Amino acid sequence: MFLWMRNTHLILGLAFFFFAIIFAVSSLVIIYRPWLPDARVDTEETIQIDAATATSPRSLALELMRNHDFAGDLRQVKEEDDLIKFQINRPGTHVNFEYVPGSSEVKLKTMRWGWTETFVQLHVNHGFHHDFLPASAWGALSLLGSIGLLLLGATGLYLWFVMNEDRAIGSVILVFGLVYGLTALIWSRMV
Amino acid sequence: MKRLHTWSGLLTFTAFIVWGITGIHAVFLPAPGEWKPPEVSSTQEFPYEAPGSADDKELAKRIYAAAELKMSGGHYNVHRDDDQNLAFNVFTSNGPRNFTYFEDEKRVLVEFRDGGVAGFLSSMHTAHTRRGAPDFSARMYGVYNEFSTWAFLFMSLSGVYVWVATRPGMPWARILIGVTTVVTIIMWLAVR
Repeated sequence: MFLWMRNTHLILGLAFFFFAIIFAVSSLVIIYRPWLPDARVDTEETIQIDAATATSPRSLALELMRNHDFAGDLRQVKEEDDLIKFQINRPGTHVNFEYVPGSSEVKLKTMRWGWTETFVQLHVNHGFHHDFLPASAWGALSLLGSIGLLLLGATGLYLWFVMNEDRAIGSVILVFGLVYGLTALIWSRMV
Repeated sequence: MKRLHTWSGLLTFTAFIVWGITGIHAVFLPAPGEWKPPEVSSTQEFPYEAPGSADDKELAKRIYAAAELKMSGGHYNVHRDDDQNLAFNVFTSNGPRNFTYFEDEKRVLVEFRDGGVAGFLSSMHTAHTRRGAPDFSARMYGVYNEFSTWAFLFMSLSGVYVWVATRPGMPWARILIGVTTVVTIIMWLAVR
């Protein structure tokens, strides 16, 4: 049993090592963001399209994805008087599009973040509802990683207890963490 | 190192559980634009007389301050409802609160829309020393959560160190970290 739990702990730790690093670093980026440089790079350009393919915002977006290499979730579709606006977003890269119906030009602004902010966007990317398959794959990894986190905690607790090392000091630390954390949580919930 | 790894895990065990539950709960959240607030769970009213010189934003700010809501993280969406009453929303860890000010009657109606425990934990998992409600309990958890984040990074790195230092020759572990590395690189390139 002990060896099985020890190996399970190691398997989970190695399998979700990069997931853990991404989530830990992105959490620290969120906390210390005001002190970190803004690594976003914005670029603007105009591209040519066949106006016949742009019969609706969605058809235009699909044309841009299929023939102009834009990839991501279609978001924020807005049809104003003589202007169509939408975004194609994926973690780390958001592209805003503006199109005048009937024309053959699409104006776009690409916002591309560095690796730290991309980590943050992967952190908050969740679920399987994405049009962009890799985003849903990261959502699946988040689910597996979260289950893995709970199992890592449970197996780690078991290993500490049965290894019989530092059981006294470990108990004090565990109880302190539980009492402090749970008190803060329950108190916050009850007010 | 092994001791520090273990002690870090024991100390931050509560945060681990909260993060794990939050991550699982997040998968089942509605897609952007499909979120619906919880049903009204209770209401409260209090008298309030608006100063004649305040505009809507300033008035909303004063009403928000007068309400002294617990675990609130600010007010937003100041607007007029269909009957031209000043209305705004307040985010709290325990769910949204909707404010409506009936100016002629000099009273404020607060609708409480309490969320579930998973939503509460999701909100609390974002707390840190400079973020979250100003209430003491929220600040207390923010300190713990921020410390736990550093501990999580430490445990991730020290865990690999302990593996390499104690059981480096295990072939399946080497294969697993290799596969994990390749899968992560592929997934990173796919989004970049």
